[in-house]
Amino acid sequence: MTNFVLTTTSLTTILGAATLLAALSAFAANDSIARGEYLVYAGGCISCHTEDRDNAVPLAGGRALETPFGTFYPPNITPDVATGIGSWSDEDFLNALWEGVSPEGKDYFPAFPYTSYTGVSREDLLAIKAYLFSLDPVAKESPDHELKWYISTRLAAGAWKALNFEPARFEPDRLRDPQWNRGAYLVRHLGHCGECHTPRSVTGVLETGREFSGSKLGEEKVPNISPDRAAGIGRWSESDIEYFLDIGMLPDGDFAGSSMVDVIEDNTSHLTRDDRRSIAHYLKSVPPQPSPGD
Amino acid sequence: MQRKTTGAMTAFAITSILSVQVFADATPEDAAEYRASVMTAMGGHMGAASKIVRGLIADDGHLAAHARGLALVAAELERVFPQGSNVGDSEALPLIWEEPEAFAKAISRVQKATVDFVTVADSGDKEAIGPAFRRVGKACGGCHDKFRVDDD
Repeated sequence: MTNFVLTTTSLTTILGAATLLAALSAFAANDSIARGEYLVYAGGCISCHTEDRDNAVPLAGGRALETPFGTFYPPNITPDVATGIGSWSDEDFLNALWEGVSPEGKDYFPAFPYTSYTGVSREDLLAIKAYLFSLDPVAKESPDHELKWYISTRLAAGAWKALNFEPARFEPDRLRDPQWNRGAYLVRHLGHCGECHTPRSVTGVLETGREFSGSKLGEEKVPNISPDRAAGIGRWSESDIEYFLDIGMLPDGDFAGSSMVDVIEDNTSHLTRDDRRSIAHYLKSVPPQPSPGD
Repeated sequence: MQRKTTGAMTAFAITSILSVQVFADATPEDAAEYRASVMTAMGGHMGAASKIVRGLIADDGHLAAHARGLALVAAELERVFPQGSNVGDSEALPLIWEEPEAFAKAISRVQKATVDFVTVADSGDKEAIGPAFRRVGKACGGCHDKFRVDDD
């Protein structure tokens, strides 16, 4: 009898522990998905990987990205096996974002900003993947890129990478405060602001010496976001920058209509105020730059 | 309070319509410059209001004043885009006159958002102020996005 009672008790304990463990890991998975969703906003994935029309399915690919090298059509990154990333392993995902290599070993063109994402932490990337894999798979093929003849082969992407790309994770600067480091991580890596706001050389390499001094996106002029008082946002306070990234208002009360409207709506307005403040804090600390051509 | 505000807006709108004739006599240059000043006035109220909305400047009843200023200026938006006024430094896109119905809708969104903002500012409901201000901004941006030349 005693024996029986004991056994029941241990069984209950074991079952209880198992349930608790299952609940904990489900909680951890949900937590990772929620974090991943937030990081997808911070990573600016939606504005490129979603078609530019009303009611487009988010992240199912297709928005035309016009560059001097031709038009790129970002792929579907929902977990559809045939047309999306449904068959990707964690390592495939990390390789794509850190190294710019597809699961089949093909080099990506740097229109996909792995040049920035290479600094994002493993933990953050896997949370992003967990979120993407929690979405409904959408079967939708993006059109082929329409590129200038001289880069119309993936070999061109490989050559470009060999010359211009060095994979590296973000390392915090210990002489700077945590807010600055968070801002640097968000601006330079996850948010990849420089991919649009830094001018490029004729071969499409970001000119790090003129970082954040503005550039062009198709016909659109992309503004200087360095703290130069005349050419950039040197007259903006950190609060002005934070509020702009939240609701899109310029310090003079104007609301610009530009590609940045989508970036604010799809990405930065979803961030915490603290993260937007970190972005502002970091941007105010970079070297002021005159605009190209000034 | 809302009734009073709406009444004031209606009165203002009627005055605006009556003014069209006077406005029609203006030179295209004056019309374009007047429009630019009206936009600057709206931007000025937005910039000031945002400082209060962000909590950087004490309200002391002035948010409602800026909200009212915005709504009053917004109420005359229809009349500041006369045909032929796209001259000089004007940033208006021809689409304004090509798609008058879509443009009228975009303007009425701004007007509605600004009147709502007055109501919220008068109510003193702190939770509602940020979102109401954001809706005004969205309406401004919506119109600029489609009907104004991109800056720079």
